[in-house]
Amino acid sequence: MDAPGLKALAVKNNYPPGDLAIWIFILAELLVFAAFFAAYAFTRAHHVELFNTYQRTLDTNAAMINTLALITSSYFVMRAVAAIREDRVKLCVRWTVAAILMGVLFIAIKSGEYAHHYANGVNLRTNTFYMFYLSLTFFHYMHVLMGMIILGAVAIKANNGSYSAREHTGVETGASYWHMVDIVWLVLFPLVYIMR
Amino acid sequence: MNSTDDTEYRYPIRPCTLVYVVLMALTVTTWLLGKTDMTGLNIALPVLAFALFKGLLIGDYYMGLKGVRGLWRWVIIIWLAVPGSMITWAFINAS
Repeated sequence: MDAPGLKALAVKNNYPPGDLAIWIFILAELLVFAAFFAAYAFTRAHHVELFNTYQRTLDTNAAMINTLALITSSYFVMRAVAAIREDRVKLCVRWTVAAILMGVLFIAIKSGEYAHHYANGVNLRTNTFYMFYLSLTFFHYMHVLMGMIILGAVAIKANNGSYSAREHTGVETGASYWHMVDIVWLVLFPLVYIMR
Repeated sequence: MNSTDDTEYRYPIRPCTLVYVVLMALTVTTWLLGKTDMTGLNIALPVLAFALFKGLLIGDYYMGLKGVRGLWRWVIIIWLAVPGSMITWAFINAS
């Protein structure tokens, strides 16, 4: 057996891994984030100096660590799917819990950033850049929390013996959602923190 | 699990682990470019390209879309291309 992406190399399927309903949901979420990103970029085009100035107030170290945390969590989730396809239930649970812990790290760091901005009197009305920064990142933050809840449910069900090599749609469904959250952040990180 | 099964199990994981290393390296590179505090398209567009490539790797290898036929195969690629193009357009016209 193999990793989710590589099993697919050998046998082509018509549908992506997991429940098809989650993919409809993922599409909807991606459309919303795409609109957000476009709105940010086109608004920035009219306020380049403002965006460049206030972008420098953001903590790129924290954002980089958060990016590494989400990438690592995605890797762990991939390993969880690979494990359940091998019928290695306990291993699947361990990888899933490890992914959740990476999510906890992300939330802790991001919460620290929000606390810092709040202490400095920054809010949605401070200026256009902060309005985008806070709304975009908080919208994503809520998705990370939702993803952690989904992965928690997957871990509990896996631990209860609900998944096996034959039936593990739930694990793949949770994994697909989590990877979507990761992909969105991979674009958000450079767009909001780095690109000037 | 015997040694043959173990080999079969471990072999496919290796490319995904390599992808993980690439993702981490590109992230650190992006962060280092940000630390230079340079501005302009010469920095912004490569950084965006790194991000889109990273998204492509996650979609193909971790989401398993590389082995999917038809429209679903292109979901993440199209999604990356659309905002990627719009962001590029906006940055070019802002500079």
